[in-house]
Amino acid sequence: MTGYAGDTVASALYGAGVRIFGRSLKYHRPRGLYSMEGESANTFMSIDGVPNECAETTELRAGMAVAPQNVHGDPRSDRFGFLSAFDRLMPAGFYYHLFHRPQFLWPVFQSGLRRMAGTGVLDPLREYGGGVRSERYLNADVAVVGGGSAGMAAALAAGESGLRVCLFERRDRLGGHLAWRVRELEGEPLYRRAEALAAQVQAAENVKVFTSSPAIGVWGENLVTGFTVGTEDDPFRECHWECRARTVVIAAGCMDRPLVFNHNDRPGVMQVGTAWRLARSYGVRPGKSVAFSVADDLGLEAAIDLDDLGVRVRFIADARESGQQGAAVFEALCDRAIPLFPGCAVSRAVGRKRVRGCVLRSLKGGRSRRFRCDLLVANAGMQPRIGTLATANARFEYCTHTHGYQPTDLPPGVFVAGSMTGLRDPRSIEASGRVAGYGAAERCGGRPGNVARAGNRVMGEGQSGSPGRGSVSPSRASRAVEAARQEAKALPGPPPGCGVIHAPAIGRGAKAFVDLDEDGTYKNVKESIARGLDVPELAKRFAGFGLGPGQYRVAGQNLAMIMADLRGDPVEKARATTVRPPLAAPSIATLAGPGHDVHKRTPLHAEQAARGAVFRRAGPWQRARHFGDDPSCRDEILSVRTNVGVLDSSPLGKFRIHGPDALQALQRVYISDMSKARPGYCKYSAMCNDMGQLMDDGVVVIEGRNDYYFTTSSARAGATVEWFRFHTRHDGWDYNLVNLTDVLGSLNIAGPNARRVLERLTGDNVSNEAFPYLACRRITVGDGVEARCLRLGFVGELSFELHAPASCVPYLWDLVMEAGADFGIRPFGLEAQNCLRAEKGHVIIGTESEQRVTLTDIGMGWMWDREDTVSKKVGAPALRACVGQTGRLKLVGLRVEEGAKAPLDGTLVVDGDKIVGYVCTTRSSETLGWQYGLALVHKEHAFPGRRIHLCHEETPGERVTSTAFVMSPHFYDPRGQRLRR
Amino acid sequence: MSWLRPRRLWHPAPLKRHYEVVIIGGGIHGLATAYYLARTHGIRDVAVLESHYIGFGGSGRNTAIVRANQRTAENVRLYDEGLKLWAVLTDELDFNLMFFNCGTLNLGHSEAAMNGIRMLASTHNLLEVKSEVLDPQQCAEVIPGLDISDRPAFPIHGGLYHPPGGIVRHDAVVWGLAKGASAHGVHIHQGCEVRGIDTRDGRVTGVRTSQGAIGCKRLGIMAGGYGSAVAAMLGIELPIHPLTIQAMVTHPLKPFLHHVFSSGAYHVYANQTLKGEIATGAHMDPQVNYTTDATAYYLKHQAEALGELMPALRGVRFMRIWSGLADMTPDMAPIMEGELGYEGLYLDAGWGYFGFKSGPVAGKYMAEYMSTGQRPDILRAFQLKRFLEGRYSGETASVMKYGHWD
Repeated sequence: MTGYAGDTVASALYGAGVRIFGRSLKYHRPRGLYSMEGESANTFMSIDGVPNECAETTELRAGMAVAPQNVHGDPRSDRFGFLSAFDRLMPAGFYYHLFHRPQFLWPVFQSGLRRMAGTGVLDPLREYGGGVRSERYLNADVAVVGGGSAGMAAALAAGESGLRVCLFERRDRLGGHLAWRVRELEGEPLYRRAEALAAQVQAAENVKVFTSSPAIGVWGENLVTGFTVGTEDDPFRECHWECRARTVVIAAGCMDRPLVFNHNDRPGVMQVGTAWRLARSYGVRPGKSVAFSVADDLGLEAAIDLDDLGVRVRFIADARESGQQGAAVFEALCDRAIPLFPGCAVSRAVGRKRVRGCVLRSLKGGRSRRFRCDLLVANAGMQPRIGTLATANARFEYCTHTHGYQPTDLPPGVFVAGSMTGLRDPRSIEASGRVAGYGAAERCGGRPGNVARAGNRVMGEGQSGSPGRGSVSPSRASRAVEAARQEAKALPGPPPGCGVIHAPAIGRGAKAFVDLDEDGTYKNVKESIARGLDVPELAKRFAGFGLGPGQYRVAGQNLAMIMADLRGDPVEKARATTVRPPLAAPSIATLAGPGHDVHKRTPLHAEQAARGAVFRRAGPWQRARHFGDDPSCRDEILSVRTNVGVLDSSPLGKFRIHGPDALQALQRVYISDMSKARPGYCKYSAMCNDMGQLMDDGVVVIEGRNDYYFTTSSARAGATVEWFRFHTRHDGWDYNLVNLTDVLGSLNIAGPNARRVLERLTGDNVSNEAFPYLACRRITVGDGVEARCLRLGFVGELSFELHAPASCVPYLWDLVMEAGADFGIRPFGLEAQNCLRAEKGHVIIGTESEQRVTLTDIGMGWMWDREDTVSKKVGAPALRACVGQTGRLKLVGLRVEEGAKAPLDGTLVVDGDKIVGYVCTTRSSETLGWQYGLALVHKEHAFPGRRIHLCHEETPGERVTSTAFVMSPHFYDPRGQRLRR
Repeated sequence: MSWLRPRRLWHPAPLKRHYEVVIIGGGIHGLATAYYLARTHGIRDVAVLESHYIGFGGSGRNTAIVRANQRTAENVRLYDEGLKLWAVLTDELDFNLMFFNCGTLNLGHSEAAMNGIRMLASTHNLLEVKSEVLDPQQCAEVIPGLDISDRPAFPIHGGLYHPPGGIVRHDAVVWGLAKGASAHGVHIHQGCEVRGIDTRDGRVTGVRTSQGAIGCKRLGIMAGGYGSAVAAMLGIELPIHPLTIQAMVTHPLKPFLHHVFSSGAYHVYANQTLKGEIATGAHMDPQVNYTTDATAYYLKHQAEALGELMPALRGVRFMRIWSGLADMTPDMAPIMEGELGYEGLYLDAGWGYFGFKSGPVAGKYMAEYMSTGQRPDILRAFQLKRFLEGRYSGETASVMKYGHWD
């Protein structure tokens, strides 16, 4: 098959004679080319192995593999085509009343239903090769959605004041419906006017035009998002964009409101624009003999134009009795001998697999007449594309004049223009765009009317204005706006629309579709109402109207009108279903973009990698879990316990707080009395939340007067500043908080030989006397690098933590490694640290703490300054409330008895069949010579010496049990002597 | 052949000026409570008041996942009974709720997550609820297409497979319960908005609505995301944050995803509906609000997450996104309470994003509570006073955080 440049897959297929594009969801009816913008799933196909690609909007490329969907056998003779004859057995929601009895058969039916549902076939093992994705983040004063004449006029008008304008058009060219109209207006064909406007827009420097760029939605605060389908010149296949705009002009235009008649889904029934664009934009003859059943002047114009192009127009049925604009139309029809039947509509399409004729009826009833044709162009007039506006949170009311939904109140900064407001005259449409563009510009503080505009027919005064932003007086600016408004007012307003919904004899012996994608018929609407699901939102859910890929577009307005009609309500009471984004369906690849895994590497990443570090994600960081190929970290642990090791602790949260109220702030968030911090020493404490649960722990060091340095756990580094701010928000305190986490790196030298290593790096006295446990000093290391040195003991051994500028930390690492080489120093990672600290009984937040336990429950209540009632410590009231309560979980140590199978982290503590706790961390310790565990256990079981039962069951029936004795969690060096040596 | 005769599922009823029981909220919880009150406890003088149409709120906006793989025994017991009710209700209501017992797979992306999963599986199996710990290879066998390589930012370490879970057609549950409640004499009033609650001498006496005052002896607040706002009419302050939670569906596809999968690290759950769409959600906007606005940010987030977990989905397109309210409590467990300072006042709220799966079972026990005045044992863990006493439910492993400050 061949096509032409600019063809879509659908236009090329149609040109090649394809009429049946696929089969419908429920009845497997043949479906053809109905729309050109993906308004239904009729032409969804599998393209290059990707399911559900819309042939109407996919540009033809050489070598494409295109296949129909939801087809059994050939689309022309589908094996399930017979289902259509059994529609009486499948009323709306039939499955809710079927298949559930007898119950054991339901899974069988269900599996059948699942197989029948769905359209495209996705192979979950197939790699998606959809090309390069990109993304752009735009800022605009005015974002214009819709590149028809109104949108272009709006962009130009807004751009006059030098504002930044972005114009988004879903089609691959500007011009909207003018682009294919040859009707002359003021001596110029409409498409020429579109070209002229497009040229101006393209030439305007401050107007950025995006074609092939459908909008996904307009979100809060005027954020417009969408995506651009790239051309061969673009470096991307698709590009997702987000445009944060100060104002938005929505000129989304109109689409056909489908005429509901019997067999209105037959291949060969299409929208006015579809037939017209096939002929004019794609040079494809839509049919040989065409019948028109329309309801507005655009339909008449299309018929005349198609006739001029050599498609024989059998007749035009116009649902309106009168109201056709201009005698010229009638003359043109006479000239071409096209019969016009006012007040009539097609009531039935004839032909099974494609249209072969149609039945015409007067809307008032009466006799019908049959015609032969191979193409049936039908609509009930046009309906506004309200989707963009709906996603912007506008509210709508049904307008009995235009017979479409019109916004009743627009969100701030949102403007509407063009044919979606009901306008039909091209001059009015353009003028409305200008008014909207000026309105948007004014709202942005722009001064419209100060740039010469060539080719503007009305506003001559603007042309003499000198360029430059400040040169026009406000009065003159508003004069320009006022003139535009007057101009728009003087032009024809919206003509009356057509309220007709459906053709006569609807649903009699045939299906009349309200929704194509879900095969929702007129009869289904009636059935929904009969079931009591009598508002559109409920019928939508019950019978699927507007739930398919076309969403609101085909079914939305008609469903509301039909329901109002059937219920006997006036049409203006018709409340349509909510339109939901995305307005154009973006692929997951396009939304996801080129990949966003933002993670941080510590300053020692490369050094650790060189030593065989195995990295794991920990929060935002990539951290070394262990080194080499022993995940149990035996040697890393032993080296710390018996010799010396070094840990990259750079992700540790590091902060400075200073200012007159710094201490008060610390007193508020820390649970201990922070005024007891001693100069030159670390004060260890914890932060709780309002519920008394442990949130963070770390040390605070006095740096100077009203000046403190403190550390937090790695996981809390990102949240700490906001935590302080939030908990002191009512106090008006004067303090500054600086996050130094990324500025400073740190490493921890730990083990009995740690001091001997450190002594080789520094001339400062780090002896036990001069630099005792918990001391914090500044020391000079190597060639004059000044580092904070903190003598702590998280891992239970003598250890020195060096904090220094991140850029110097690799140098320190090298020094440590060199100095430690004689001792056989080893780097250790997170897992070794985890085992070492657990042996020591030190908790890790979130591992040994959870939301059922408070600070006191995990044995850290000693930190809480119970006497303090003035600081309003965060969490103190909750801690007080829990004092003396029974039935709480407590943190205990376990000594596991040797058995067949050892417990693991997450193993339950049970009492009979009752769960009384769980094991947080458990390891078999070479240091201790037995398996220890830290567990949260109900208070009743949490006393030393108690024998408790453990079990885990990872696979049903494979229970692993063991026993353990409760003991203090401080297994290793319980008196802390090793830290103080 | 009943499916061929379209009869009303529930019947329009005159709005009486007094009912024995009034229930605020025509969602699954309210309708289920009304159903069980009428069916099991013989209290038929019941009105369900719904301000929009039944199922307007969370009942019609969830992703329809049902499971009983919670973390604590109290919760597992409740949800397990709830899970068993779907088949029972399908039969009782003579309405196909379309329970698809496909099983759920909850992915773990770290060693810590796998430890948590081990604890979950052990808890479930001890309570005779089936769950199984899977390694990455087994995960990929259960759900072909999962990327178990180390390419994703958070590689899959394993998962918790929970065969009893699945999906249910959420709207069908609303309609089925309405059908059943109506058949037992319950009045369902749509478009009836409650604007105030009347009390006298410490007793609830009725409600003021957009359709006038309605008297009642017992009142149930079962208004989903709006529960705390309704309770506030009586000055009752609940520890509930209403947050928007979003969900979306892709274009429909032939069945290829035969289980529900979820991932905490990616904030994603996904399943394929009976109609073939991939329904996916999980994200909550952190700020308290009642807007039910969807966000561009979330659409993108979900695409990033799904595209990493299952790369074949990258060519699939999102078709519709929507949002509903999740009434989050500090411990992610609900509040079911009849001791609120007013006799006859009952509250069923704070279900967060577990409101759908719990609907029928919550209704069953709330009906028992409301009819007898005695708190059923199974509801003891969900009292309001636990927040005052600092006795949080252990439903999540980590401490819950709401807001920008933590």
